[in-house]
This record gives sequence, structure tokens and C-alpha cells, in this order.
Amino acid sequence: MRDLSRRQVLRLGGAFGLLTGTAALSTAAALSRRPAVTGAELRSAVPLPPPFQVPLPLPRVLRPVSPGHYEITQRVAEAEILPGIRTPLWTYDGTFPGPTIESRRGRPITVTHRNELPVPTVVHLHGGRTPADSDGYPTDLVLPAGWTAEHHAMPDPRAVRTHLTRSYTFPLDQRPALLWYHDHRMDFTAPAIWRGLAGLHIVRDDAEEALGLPSGPRELPLLITDRAFAADGSLDYPSVDGNLRARPGVRESFLGGVLGDVILVNGAPWPVHEVDAARYRLRILNASNARHYELEAVADDGRRLPLVQIGADQGLLDAPVTHAALPIGPAERYDVVVDFAGVPVGGRVRLLNRLGSGRTAEVMAFRVARRARDDSRVPAVLSTDLPSWDRPVRVRDFSFRAGQLDHGRGWLIDGRPFDPSRTDVTVSLGDVEVWRLVADVHHPVHLHLAGFRVLSRGGRPPLPHDAGLKDTVSLRPGEAAEIITRFDGYRGRYLFHCHNAEHEDMGMMANLEIT
Amino acid sequence: MQRTGGTSWALRAVAGAHLVAIAGQPVFAGVYLSGDYDGLRLHATGADVVTSLGYVQLIAAIVVWVRLRRAWPFFATTAVAAAETVQYFAGLDGALWLHLPLGVLTVAGLVVLVVALWRRPLEDVDA
Repeated sequence: MRDLSRRQVLRLGGAFGLLTGTAALSTAAALSRRPAVTGAELRSAVPLPPPFQVPLPLPRVLRPVSPGHYEITQRVAEAEILPGIRTPLWTYDGTFPGPTIESRRGRPITVTHRNELPVPTVVHLHGGRTPADSDGYPTDLVLPAGWTAEHHAMPDPRAVRTHLTRSYTFPLDQRPALLWYHDHRMDFTAPAIWRGLAGLHIVRDDAEEALGLPSGPRELPLLITDRAFAADGSLDYPSVDGNLRARPGVRESFLGGVLGDVILVNGAPWPVHEVDAARYRLRILNASNARHYELEAVADDGRRLPLVQIGADQGLLDAPVTHAALPIGPAERYDVVVDFAGVPVGGRVRLLNRLGSGRTAEVMAFRVARRARDDSRVPAVLSTDLPSWDRPVRVRDFSFRAGQLDHGRGWLIDGRPFDPSRTDVTVSLGDVEVWRLVADVHHPVHLHLAGFRVLSRGGRPPLPHDAGLKDTVSLRPGEAAEIITRFDGYRGRYLFHCHNAEHEDMGMMANLEIT
Repeated sequence: MQRTGGTSWALRAVAGAHLVAIAGQPVFAGVYLSGDYDGLRLHATGADVVTSLGYVQLIAAIVVWVRLRRAWPFFATTAVAAAETVQYFAGLDGALWLHLPLGVLTVAGLVVLVVALWRRPLEDVDA
């Protein structure tokens, strides 16, 4: 056989290269999730209701038993989430979401929790500036009556355990904001939240109320979660140990996170809410374990209503920021004003999720019922007390990535899985630090105690929705962010972790010691 | 076999430097994903260098085409430079599903091109 000429070699090589390249790239395009999604979706085994039929429930506001003192009983309850189907839940005071606590800035409250559930629990007030002994450290468990099983995986000599009840004291010396309380038990946070252990906590003050923002019935808390239902009506969840007593973790294909195929707002599937043709203040929390949303408000004619962001995780922005669509990762909150004035009476505005597909692309709807007077306003200046820090005393890098645990795969911060007895980061009270967070897949990174500001994303300026003071920053695959904060308030042992609840249960937490 | 002239050497040199630069990109990406934030800056600077070298190589290939009547280096370099441009914006957009396989293919393509350029002088008349 005669030698091939260079031209022939090139032609052959070129053709082969082109073929391989086209095949590789089309396979990548076909197999990949675009947009990227971290987690695996459960499919409900019961028929799902049509969207926008069930009215939006508003969680009841908890009445104090005496001034500044609240009591909540954690117990099993049944609820009709899907029409005609009974679903057993783990609840705060019998409902999902739990009752809302309304509080005032600087007025301390005490919440006494009584655990009547079959497993230990611990309550964390997410976003609260709370002394360490009331911050709900994952081993500070409240044991239920007759608890005998011991989860010996990681002994923690500093754990403070109580039997049956525990009182948490919240000074609430912080900016007015939408906070939320949820279970934070080590290794079992994700299934506990999934079963219903989450509720809202609102902090208010006079300055915010003087702004003239939409209020009363025109202020709506929206707690968004995704869930899946088993054939018997119970919530489906891929736990290794269905009793959640001893063995933590989920089946292997769900290591990335558990997604449901039913979107619940305030515990109702794809609900609808009747509104006046006026401005509404939507206080949105993504309380999902792993699902990210990109929300947009779309009218019947396809027009997108502007989402005017007035607040972030830790309260009001300095000035409003208008979005066409708003991405929200697990545990993030956005305070948004939507004006329904331009929508005809009888018209509908759907809240959609651009990251969803099929049924998860819809969230809820508003039906404009009547014209009405609107005295509310969105001032150009919302607040003037946002901290701005400079001169950090330290810069730290953290990687958030998949890795090997002692038993099986899991999630690591800086190459190490969570160990309650190891101090990962020590800071002095009052120190300003810059943290540079690098993610392999989606990781919503949350700091306890300290609110922070986002300095950059991917080496470029922060995105419009990064404005204001946050306590959770949602990183996308391969993305990095720089955040700056000042560790003040209280000394003690705190946490920072990924708020993908499955990641957090499978190692992705670290200890922050403030001295 | 002919002596290799200055025009060819220029293209060979640029393509060689281009290959060295592109080999750094997966390294810096790995450093970045290990949690070293500075790896991101190296990867971004590397992207600027690699893409610029791609365009310089394109100019050298045009000169080769004009002076030596050899067109294939130009077409091959155009393909690599086009891939690198797409790669650049896929990276900025965080479209990792495209960025990763296209990166591997681009490196493979450039390796083949550099080998072809260095194997025999461009001045050689093809058999």
C-alpha cells in the first residue's frame, strides 16, 4: 500500500476530527441539563391537581402565651395538601408551614419548643442574630420522650441536650427582615424539613413601616417548596432509613439533592390568590431542599410584570432594583413589590419558574378581582443603614465540592466533611473578612450569625439580585463569589454550610468559632 | 526536501506557543475547582492569551497561504480559532456542558495541527 500523502492524511484527519467533534458536542448537548440542575427528581405516585385551583393559604400568626414568650409543640399531624388525599406531616404546632412569628427589632423573645415527634429535633432561626446557645447547633438536640436509640457516629462533647423541651431566646437586635425557622438536626435536616418542619419569622421596625410599602392584606409571605407524594398519600423521600433514627443519608442517585414534582406555596399545590389591581409586597422564601427557581410574573397577554426588589435575605436594600426574572436558591429570600394595576379585572398573573420543566415550571397565580385604591409607594431610598466594610483583616478561600466520606460519597468544604468536634475557622469578634467561595455544582452557601455583602461573582461585578445584605449566596456550577462580612454580635460556636439540605446532611458544613 | 523559510518558522513558532498556552487551561481550571480562587484569574488570563495566540496564528497562516500557496494551515487554524472563540463565551456564560467537551476537542485539534506543521516543511511539494 502506498504511503498516504500529507494532503490525504489531513483530509482524513479533518473528516475524522469533524465527525468526532460533532458527535461529542451533540452528545453533550443531548445528555446535559440545560439549564444546569443539581439533584434528582422524585415522581409522585398519585394524580396531581390542575394548577391555580387551590386558594393560597396564609400561615396563621402565632399568639404569645405571655408578652415576648411563645410556645410551639412539634408533633405529627395530617393535612390535606392535595385535594382528597391525607398526608401525614411533622409539624410545628400542627400545620405546614408552621405558625408565623411576628416580632419587633430589638425586642427579645423566647420560644419554647416541645418535642412530641418520634426523633430528636433542634430549631435554628435562619438569618437570626442569635447567641450561640440558642442558634440551634446540630447536636444541641431536644430528645423526645423515651428516646433510646443513639446515633454515635460523631460524639460532640460540647453538645447541650435537653429532654422534651427547650427554650430558645432571640434578642432580634437586627435589621427588619423575613427570617425562617427550621429543624437543623445533624445528619437528618433534609428529611425533617421535607416532612414539614419549617415556618416563618418576621422582624419589623418603625422605620420600615413608615416607608408606605404595601401592607396588611397586600403583604404576602410566600414560602415555596417542592415535594413528591407516594401512593399512600405520604410525602415521598429517598431516605436510607425511613424512620430517620439511626442511618442518615439518601439513596445514591439522590446525593445531588432531592427534588419534588409538586410545587407548594405556603403548603398548597400551585395555589391561586385573589388580589386587588394594586401593588403587593411579596416576601418570597425558597424553603426547598435543593430546587432553584428563576421566578417571573407573566400576565395573560404574555407581558412580564416587573419584579421590583426592595429587600434581600437580611432586610431592605438601599434602593429598589427592578428585575424581569429573579433567581432564588434554597434558603434565599427576596422582598419584591409587584404592581397589578395594569392587569385587567378578571385577568391572571402567573408566577412561573424558568428553571423548571413541565409542572415545575409553574409556581402559583394571582387573579385580579377588582379595582382598588392604592396609597402604597416604593420610595427611591429604602434604607440608609446598610453596612459597608473595607480593609478586611483576612482573606480565606473555601471549596465546596463532591468527595469521599468515611462511608460512601458526600460533600466537602475544603476537602473535609463536617465534624462537630473540629474547629474549621476561628475569627475574633469584630473582624472583617473576605471569603472567596468556589463551587463545583450548585451550592447555596449560608453563614450563621453574620450577614454579608457580595463583592464579586466569577471575578466580575455582582449580579443585580446580589444587592443588599445577604446570609445565603447561591453559587452556580463552576462559579465563585467573594463575600465580605464583619463577625460581630456574639462569641461562640457557629456554622457555615451549604443550604442544599441533602448536601448539608452529607458533610457540607463547617464550624466557625468566634472568639 | 526544501529548507524551511522564515514564514513557515513564524507559523510553527506561534502554533507551538499556542499549544503550550492551551495546555495550561485545564490545569488552571483544576486549580480553581480545588478551591483556589486565584486559579480562576489564571484560567481567565489564560483564556485571553490562548484566544489572542489563536488570532495571531491565523494571521501567520494567511501569510503562509499568500507567500507559500499553502491554504490548509489557514483553514485548520480558522477552525481552532472559531472553537476557541465559542469556548471563551461558553466559559463566561458558565455553560459547562459545552465548555468541557469543546475544550478537550480544541486541545486535541491543536495538537494534530501542530504535529502536521512541524512534521514536514510547508515548502514541500505534496506527493
